[in-house]
Amino acid sequence: MTSGTITDGPALRDPHTPDSRIGHGADYLHAEHTLRSWFFTTDHKRIALLYLASITAFFVIGAVTAGLVRLALVVPDGQVFTNDTYNKLFTIHGVVMVWFFLIPSIPATFGNFLIPLMIGARDLAFPKLNLASWYVFMTGALFTLASVVLGGVDTGWTFYTPLSTAFSNTWVVPALIGVTIVGFSSILTGLNFVVTIHTMRAPGMTWFRLPIFVWTHYATSLIFLLATPVITVALVLLIAERAFHIGVFDPAYGGDPVLFQHLFWFYSHPAVYIMVLPGMGVISEIVPAFAQKKLFGYKFVAYAAIGLASVTFFVWGHHMFVNGQSDFASVAFSVLSFAVAVPSAVKVYNWTATIHKGSLKLDTPMLYAMGYIGLFVLGGLTGLYLATLAINQHVHATYFVVAHFHYIMVGGTVLAFLGGLHFWWPKITGRMYIEAWGRISAFLIFIGFNVTFFPQFILGYLGMPRRYHVYPPEFQFLNILSSAGSTILAVGYIFPMVYLVYSIWFGKRAPANPWDARGFEWTVASPPPAHNFVTEPVAPKVPYDYPIQAKETGRQHS
Amino acid sequence: MSAGATDAAVAGEGRDAVGVKLVSHFATVEQQKHAAVLGMWAWLLTELLLFAGLFLTALVLRIIHPEAVQAAARHLKFWIGATNTVVLIGSSLTMSGAIQLSRLGWPRGMVRFMLATAALGTLFLLLKGYEYYADYQEHMMPFLSDRPYELKDSPPSRLFVNLYYVATSLHGLHLMTGITILLVMTWQASRPGFLSLHQNRIEIFGLYWHFIDLIWILAFPTLYVLNR
Repeated sequence: MTSGTITDGPALRDPHTPDSRIGHGADYLHAEHTLRSWFFTTDHKRIALLYLASITAFFVIGAVTAGLVRLALVVPDGQVFTNDTYNKLFTIHGVVMVWFFLIPSIPATFGNFLIPLMIGARDLAFPKLNLASWYVFMTGALFTLASVVLGGVDTGWTFYTPLSTAFSNTWVVPALIGVTIVGFSSILTGLNFVVTIHTMRAPGMTWFRLPIFVWTHYATSLIFLLATPVITVALVLLIAERAFHIGVFDPAYGGDPVLFQHLFWFYSHPAVYIMVLPGMGVISEIVPAFAQKKLFGYKFVAYAAIGLASVTFFVWGHHMFVNGQSDFASVAFSVLSFAVAVPSAVKVYNWTATIHKGSLKLDTPMLYAMGYIGLFVLGGLTGLYLATLAINQHVHATYFVVAHFHYIMVGGTVLAFLGGLHFWWPKITGRMYIEAWGRISAFLIFIGFNVTFFPQFILGYLGMPRRYHVYPPEFQFLNILSSAGSTILAVGYIFPMVYLVYSIWFGKRAPANPWDARGFEWTVASPPPAHNFVTEPVAPKVPYDYPIQAKETGRQHS
Repeated sequence: MSAGATDAAVAGEGRDAVGVKLVSHFATVEQQKHAAVLGMWAWLLTELLLFAGLFLTALVLRIIHPEAVQAAARHLKFWIGATNTVVLIGSSLTMSGAIQLSRLGWPRGMVRFMLATAALGTLFLLLKGYEYYADYQEHMMPFLSDRPYELKDSPPSRLFVNLYYVATSLHGLHLMTGITILLVMTWQASRPGFLSLHQNRIEIFGLYWHFIDLIWILAFPTLYVLNR
C-alpha cells in the first residue's frame, strides 16, 4: 500500500487526498488509506491523531454541558433546570473534562506524536501497547459517558463519599468502572513514555540535550505511574462498597469517609500537574521559537519539571483543611503547598527572561503562549491564597476555588493545547492555517476566558458556594457577566475547529520548518514520513540553538 | 541417544538456540531487551503503589485502633497464611529454575518448571479459598447481610477485615492472571523454536511472578503477623 509517486496517475487518487503526497513518497498520513490502517495502526503519529479526534469530541461534550451550567446560573432562582438535572450537568462537565479531556489531552496527542520525533526514535518502545491504551481509553470513556447520559450521575467529578456510596441514587458504579478503566490507559501511556525516553534516544541525544517538552512529559509520566494506581484502588474500594457492601468509607460499615479523600487527592492533586506540566512543555517549545532565542536557564526549567512532579505528591492534604484533619497536618500541608510556587515561578521567570530582548514574532502559537503565562500566573497566585489556612476557611468550596482551578487547569492546559496545536499543525497535517483567524481565536479565548472566570473569584470571595444553582439575587450581575464571557469563549473555541479543519483541504502547503524552530521534529518533512527518519538524526551540541545566543553577539534574526 | 546421532546433535542434545527476534523500531536487540525489562519494572512500580494504598491504610488502622485490629487479626488463619507464603516462595524458586533453563536453551526442562510454578500458584489459590471458607464459617464476612458479623461491636475491626478481603482478593486476581499467562506461555514454549525468538518473554514474565510473590510477602506480615 505504499503508493505515492506520480506514476499512480490522477485516476487512482482520491479527490480529497491533498496533493502533497504526489512525488513525496509516503508520509505517515498517506502511507495507507484503509480504515483498518487507522484503527489497527501502531504508528505513534496515527495513534496521536486517533486521540486528537476522540478528545476533541469529549471536549465538545464537556463544553456544551458547561454552557448549560452557565445558562442555569443566569437566573438566581434556579428555574432553568431542576436540582437533579443541574447536578447531573455539572457532573458530566467535570467528569468528561477532567478524566477524558484534560488528563489525556497533551500527553496522548502531542506527547505521542512528538516524543519519538524529538528524541530521534522510530516509534515509542511499545507500539502495540500504545494502540491498546487508546482502545482502553475509549472503552472506559464511552462506558462512563453512556452511564452519565443514560442514567446520570450527580456526585460531581470527585465522587466524594458518603454521597457516592450511600445517598446518591444514580449510576455511580458504571461511571466509576469507566474512570477506573481510563486510569489504565494513563498508566500504559506513562509507562511507554518513560521507557521510550530512557532507551530510545538517538546517539548524542543526552538527557541535557532533550527538549523541555520531553522533560515535562517524563515528569508527567512519573506521576501517571506513581499516582494513578492509588486512584484505581480508591475507585475499586468505592465500587466494592457500593456494590458488595465491603465497607471502607461508610461509617455504618466501619469505614472512614475522610479516607476516601486522602486516597482521592493523593492522585488528584498530582493530576493537576499531569494537566499543567505537559502544557509547560509546550510553552517551553513555543517561547524560544518565537523569540528566536535560547531558552533561558534550560537546566533549571528541566529540574523544575521534576521538582513540581515531586512536590505535588506531598500537598494533597490542602484539600482537607476544613474536614477535621489535625492542625499539625494542616500546617504541614499548607507549607508544602507554598513550596509548589517555587518551581512554578522558576518556569515563569525563565519564559519571561527568554522573551526579554528576543526578536519577537507574535504569531498565533506565541499569542496563546503569552495568554497561557498570564493565566497561569493569576491561577498560581490565587493558589497561594487557597494554601493559606485562614483564607482557605473563608473561600473553601466557593466559586473562588472554581475560578482558581479553571485558571490553572483550563488556562494552563487548554491554552497550551491550542498553542501547541497551532505550533505543530503544519507538522501534523502538512498544511498552514490562516494566520489572521488564528490570532483572532487567541484573542477571543483570552478575553472570553477572563470575562468568564474572573468574576467567579469575586463571587467566591463574597461567599457564593460552588455546585449551587440557587443563589442570592445580589450575585446575579457577576453571574451574568460570567455566563456572557462563556459565550465569547465558546466562539473562540469554535473558530479553530473551523479554520484548522478547513486548512486540511485548502490550506497552503507547509514547509518542513515554518517557524525557523529548532528540534528534530522540524528536520523531517511535513507531514513526517511513516518511519520518522530517513537518515539517523544527529543531536546538536546545545538544545534550543537559536540565532540569538546572547545579547553581546548582536546577531539578530532577520 | 540413537547411534546415528551426529556430533552437532550430541553437543546440543535437547537444546534450542537462545535469542530474541529484533523488532523493526529498535536499533539493537540489547536496546529492545532493555526496554522490555524497564517496561516491566515500571509496571511493577504501579502495582506496588496499587497495594501500598491498602497496606498503608491497614498499618495506620493498626496504630490508631490496636485492640480492635488485633481481635480481628486473631481470626485470620495464621498457619494457612504461613503455608501459603512458603508455597509462593517455592513457586518463585521453580520460576527461577525455568528462567535459568531458558537461558541455557533447554525447553523441555523449562516447560516442566513452568508447569510446577503454575501448580504451586494454583495450590496457593486453593488454600486461600479454603481460608475464605473458614472465615465464612466463623462469621468473619461482615459484608454478607445474612451472616451476623462476629465482632459486631467493633467498627474498626470491620474496616480491617474489609481491607483484608480487598487486599487478598486483589492479590488473588493478580495470581490468577499470572497463572493464565504462564499456562498460555507454556503452551507456546512447548513448540520448537520459541526460545530462539522470544527468550526474553520468560525473563520478563519471571519478574512479574516474583513480584506477585513479593506483594504477598508484604501482605502477610501487614495482615497476619504484626502485633499478633
